[in-house]
Amino acid sequence: MSDPKGNDGDGITALSYILSGVLLYGGLGWLADRWLGTGFLLPAGLILGLALGVYLIIRRFGARP
Amino acid sequence: MGPALTLLEGSAPEFGVGAFESRPLFPSAAYQSCHDGWEAIEGCSYSPTWTDIWLTNHIAQAVIGALLVIGFWLIVKPRKTASADPNQNGVIPSKRQFLGEYAYNLIRNGVARDLIGHDYQRYVPYLVALFSFILVNNLMGETFLFMFPTFSKVGFAWGLAILSWLLYNGVGIKKKGFFGYLRSATLPHGVPIWLAWLVIPLEFLSNIIVRPLTLGLRLFANLFAGHLVVMVFVVGGSWLLFATSSSSTGYSPVWNVAGGLALLMSFFVFAIELLVACLQAYIFTVLTAQYVSSSLAEEH
Repeated sequence: MSDPKGNDGDGITALSYILSGVLLYGGLGWLADRWLGTGFLLPAGLILGLALGVYLIIRRFGARP
Repeated sequence: MGPALTLLEGSAPEFGVGAFESRPLFPSAAYQSCHDGWEAIEGCSYSPTWTDIWLTNHIAQAVIGALLVIGFWLIVKPRKTASADPNQNGVIPSKRQFLGEYAYNLIRNGVARDLIGHDYQRYVPYLVALFSFILVNNLMGETFLFMFPTFSKVGFAWGLAILSWLLYNGVGIKKKGFFGYLRSATLPHGVPIWLAWLVIPLEFLSNIIVRPLTLGLRLFANLFAGHLVVMVFVVGGSWLLFATSSSSTGYSPVWNVAGGLALLMSFFVFAIELLVACLQAYIFTVLTAQYVSSSLAEEH
């Protein structure tokens, strides 16, 4: 994967991290909100998922030489 | 609903969105009793036989696509050439072989070698077969006789997505063992332990579940949407072009002009569809190769 031509799919991988993060933790927050009757867990989950997605992108792609 | 849309919904299944409905090649008596020609009779229910479900025009099309691909590779494969000079036997490629090797190298070098790297040869046959099968089936959307891209039926796209999913998970498990693969696929190197419990479900979702879904949906949605746009331009355009005052209320000659323009525009849409057909075949292959490569990647 060090080949400069080998990054055709990286954009899609990055996008899938962001999407999965937001969907997973946003979804969990939404469920928790419905269960507990609160209203702050959905936005908190969305932000947490987004942050984790960005973090994973940095981990996976930023570490390359 | 406008009159052109009614036409798109179409009574004739080979015309309009009815083309997306698979038709049995050998309709059973039960099927025929509930269909007026190819059009389903509303409120009529019947139990389809296996031939109604499995022997359809779209499945036949996929099989024909596979046969075309197999035929192509058999025709262009290297063979011994009879030559006066014995040293040249099978060494100098024929024109057909040259063409085949050119197409083969496009995937072998441009996708497999660049993305998978070490030991890439094992995956070249699958990637070449995948690319040529998708390409041929996509181009059927722009080709006379078929005029329907096979992968705009989502089931065909799921089939290929499942194959690629099995491949990239299989090679990962084979190389690293089941738990070793799961660990490398769900926990990127260098993530601190206190973050792991948040990261692992996310990585699992992204790498194991979302990947095949996007792989299949991308192929399906591009071809479905593209074919629908073609249909709107061609069917709607021709209806407007030949519309007369008796066709519909509110008729004006502007309709005919607009229809003519829409038909001209449809050539442009077809050109885009050609591009999309090639691009989606390539993207599916590239992503499969990349998933294989990420399954095989060593932790650093």
